[in-house]
Amino acid sequence: MAAEEICWKCGQLFSGHFCNACGAIQPPAANYFDFFELPPHLNLDAAELEKRFYALSRRLHPDVFARRSEREQRYSLDATAVLNDGYRALRDPINRAEYLLKESGFDIGEQKSNPVPPELLEEVFELNMALEDLRSGDSDAAPQLEDARTKFVAMREHIDRDLSAKFAAYDESESRELLTEIRGVLNRRRYVRNLVNEVEKALSGYVPN
Amino acid sequence: MAYSDKVLDHYNNPRNVGSMDRNDPNVGTGMVGAPECGDVMKLQLKVNETSGIIEDAKFKTFGCGSAIASSSLATEWLKGKSVDEALLIKNTAIVNELSLPPVKIHCSVLAEDAIKAAISDYKSKQTTRKPVAEAVAH
Repeated sequence: MAAEEICWKCGQLFSGHFCNACGAIQPPAANYFDFFELPPHLNLDAAELEKRFYALSRRLHPDVFARRSEREQRYSLDATAVLNDGYRALRDPINRAEYLLKESGFDIGEQKSNPVPPELLEEVFELNMALEDLRSGDSDAAPQLEDARTKFVAMREHIDRDLSAKFAAYDESESRELLTEIRGVLNRRRYVRNLVNEVEKALSGYVPN
Repeated sequence: MAYSDKVLDHYNNPRNVGSMDRNDPNVGTGMVGAPECGDVMKLQLKVNETSGIIEDAKFKTFGCGSAIASSSLATEWLKGKSVDEALLIKNTAIVNELSLPPVKIHCSVLAEDAIKAAISDYKSKQTTRKPVAEAVAH
């Protein structure tokens, strides 16, 4: 939640986007959760976020400040930028988790830090072999890829269920260990997502004769 | 971004592509991957039973040119080394040899990890295989 700050214009304490005393627009909070005045949680009420997004869009829109001071116009522009970026980042659960991890000091997608489970690597390797065969015109690989697609889509669904359970657990405890686990799962998800995309691409380019 | 001539050379003429019998007790297999880009690298080495020297190394990498070049180079360097010498191969040496740009350093890290994984696989096979012989030797 946004802490109380001192209004640049009238010097009164305030919290939020506008001074409670004089009503002047304030520089936007840098953190998206603070900006939307939402708890830093991984499971957010999407409808509430949307509601706040539209309400703030109206109140912070640069047109509203067209005849105000330069400083107020600048804050309105800054706030609108945070509003849009923040909405994009928080709307999608995966983006939101990545944002929260980044804000908590984790490197996202840092390759060295996260070993991929060996069984997954084996599967990825086999899959790549099949992809290579299919690309070189060996149609025998097609059924294998169909199987792989089914398997990896199921894997992605499993990962998503795992993630939402971990999200809920994090919101309860705000434990850092859980964030570490979540980062690992997100990395695996990215890996699996790339594989699904690769397989779809290979299968769509393949025309059975 | 332009690849260096050495990367291109390894990419166009990769050395030691292939695979060995992973159930052979003298063969160590390392499989590593990078979650971000989806690269996956398999590196295998075969150690001569009597001399303890790596007599053969093979790789198969799915990934970008730099990942392929890094693993190709790694297999070249492995041959003729002892297992302990092989562990001293650092990713920075691969970076220097191939003139990898900063964004491709992770490819060399992957190759170093693959060497380490292959050696640890080889070592674990050796210890499970010869517990009696070592007990006698001590």
